[in-house]
Amino acid sequence: MPLTWRFLDTIEALVAALWPARWRGATGWAFLMPALLLVGVLVIGLGYMLEYSLHELNLATYRLRDEYALTNYATFLNRPVYGTVLWRTVLGSVLVTGITLLLAFPYAYVLVRTRVPWVRKALLVTLFLPFFIGQVVRAYGWLIVLGREGLVNSLLTGLGLPAQDLLFHFPAVIFGLVQYMLPFAILLIVPAITAIPEDMERASESLGAPWPATFRHVVLPMAWPGLIGAGVVVFTLTMTDFAMPEILGGGTTDFFASAIYDSFFQISNPGLGAALSMVLVTLGSLIVAAVFALAGPGTLGIRGART
Amino acid sequence: MNPVVELTRVSKTFGDIRAVSEASLSVARGDFLTVVGPSGCGKTTLLRMIAGFETPSSGEIRINGDRVDVVPPYRRSIGMVFQKLALFPHMTAAQNIAYPLKMRRFAPRVIPGLVKQYLELVQLGGLGDRRPHELSGGQQQRVAIARALVFSPDLLLLDEPLSALDRKLREEMQLEFRRIQRELAVTTINVTHDQREALVMSDQIVVMDQGVIQQAATPQALYRQPANRFVAHFLGVTTLLDGRVVRVGDDGDVAVQVGDTVLQARGVGQALVTGAPVDCAIRAERIGMAAHGQPGLDNTVDGVVLQRIFEGDRVVYVVRVPALGDAVLSLFDRDADVHETTTEGQSVRLAWQARDLMVFAKQT
Ligand SMILES: Nc1ncnc2c1ncn2[C@@H]1O[C@H](COP(=O)(O)OP(=O)(O)OP(=O)(O)O)[C@@H](O)[C@H]1O
Ligand SMILES: [Mg+2]
Repeated sequence: MPLTWRFLDTIEALVAALWPARWRGATGWAFLMPALLLVGVLVIGLGYMLEYSLHELNLATYRLRDEYALTNYATFLNRPVYGTVLWRTVLGSVLVTGITLLLAFPYAYVLVRTRVPWVRKALLVTLFLPFFIGQVVRAYGWLIVLGREGLVNSLLTGLGLPAQDLLFHFPAVIFGLVQYMLPFAILLIVPAITAIPEDMERASESLGAPWPATFRHVVLPMAWPGLIGAGVVVFTLTMTDFAMPEILGGGTTDFFASAIYDSFFQISNPGLGAALSMVLVTLGSLIVAAVFALAGPGTLGIRGART
Repeated sequence: MNPVVELTRVSKTFGDIRAVSEASLSVARGDFLTVVGPSGCGKTTLLRMIAGFETPSSGEIRINGDRVDVVPPYRRSIGMVFQKLALFPHMTAAQNIAYPLKMRRFAPRVIPGLVKQYLELVQLGGLGDRRPHELSGGQQQRVAIARALVFSPDLLLLDEPLSALDRKLREEMQLEFRRIQRELAVTTINVTHDQREALVMSDQIVVMDQGVIQQAATPQALYRQPANRFVAHFLGVTTLLDGRVVRVGDDGDVAVQVGDTVLQARGVGQALVTGAPVDCAIRAERIGMAAHGQPGLDNTVDGVVLQRIFEGDRVVYVVRVPALGDAVLSLFDRDADVHETTTEGQSVRLAWQARDLMVFAKQT
């Protein structure tokens, strides 16, 4: 018997001794444990947040009072600024998600389908390069490019055009966020397109459908689960983003995460911060749940769902 | 009448690879033509050019007499069944079949009737609401063929759609495809690497190897008069022998020397000259075997049974013949008595007629 076989047999015998056959059914659960633990910790954290959010800050001691109260939620409802920021956050997230998906889909499609090796290589490199540059560095990069004295404005003035205020307003934030989210979206859409055999498109064409019709009736429906998945990821990441609005918005167009940050660390009111966090988590979950409900249970390609 | 499809010296190169080389063929209306050849010989590429998914590097393709170089696939009246079927998974069988009708702007009121008619044609009445993954392999084939035919295309292309099925189902579907093809009289080009499928289904067969068409003929002609060594070897169970011409008679009679023996044979194709090296081919079913005695045929040699393979309806013998330079011949035997008595290691006498030993000039 070859040595490797004997080695493997020994390992198998050891495993059998340590993990008897009647426990086999639990093996899957055992592998699931670490992930379940991590999620569990998150849920516990959320529980603490909920608990915090139900106590008012005692301004005399700067500690949370012991008795339960809904004061923090009342503050959120009574101060219009929070409503404005939340609305801006949701609107921004919807915009960013929409624009990102629109840009990511053709990119992913060409990346998967191109027959020209150098095109694929170029697209792959451009896709992964941004991952090596952190979000904050990238935001500062944009400051350099788009700033009053930046690259774009020197070009404009060079052409005799007036310099523009490109930074510190909503479009600049959307722009930065789209640029940040694009690689994530592409990475999530690529497998969805890879999973569509090219012959599906050829079949559609030979059956009489020019490319736009093929796209609408075959490519889009078949890539739909991937698109929804990418959309949800981009949406939630944007909803909770902090750095881009902070840096590119210059404090004028904060997103909700900034408001939460400020409550915790600027005005030192953990109760209010926790309440705002709960609002964001709840709203985000509701929107994602609604998307999945509308897009159908087959969206994530989960078994049993009709695709 | 114009042929439905006509290819004139069509070539396709991918970089350095010559996938199809100077292919010419034509298919008459209503005919079933099969392109057969080993894997990678360029069959799919040939079909794709006809369908319009690839542009020929040179040569011209005509459909119904018109050049189609710049006609996109969706404007060609061609139904195609793909190697992996390519049924749309998000549509039901009926929706799959209705798809070409919608895309080709058939009047909405005729669509349900046509879908129903074609579901029945392929014997799937009642299963129209199933999605592809709820159908068996054979049923999926039927949906694919209905989808390719429902809009009455001028031409049907089949790219080995049966190759993934198990043998019994495949043979059933071959007959089924042929029935449907006859019923609709649709001109068809089928592609396969299965010689049996080619012989069973076709009016015309084109044999391809390494991108080059080796021979185009009816199944019978191809089997009886192969044009060269490749075709002879590709169809049927054939033994190939190296020989040299010793005498050329009239009417194609030749004598060839193989090993130490001079055999009577039949020249095929190009003219043969005395002294030239040649390929000889003989089919397994043409060799007779007798343990003893002289069967009185043109050629007789003695050999030793190396292997005896029982295949149910026949027994295949692999026999080494010292007098032919230790050549190894394959032959079939259906005689039950001989099956019982002939064993491995036994000496046997083989015999065959001169006309069954085909001789080809060596290809250079
Ligand atoms: N898009 C392509 N790019 C480069 N080479 C290709 C391409 N398509 C086919 N080829 C090459 O052309 C040759 C013929 O391929 P083709 O697919 O036509 O073979 P086939 O006869 O259909 O084989 P099979 O029976 O395996 O399907 C092969 O050598 C293949 O590698
Ligand atoms: Mg092929």
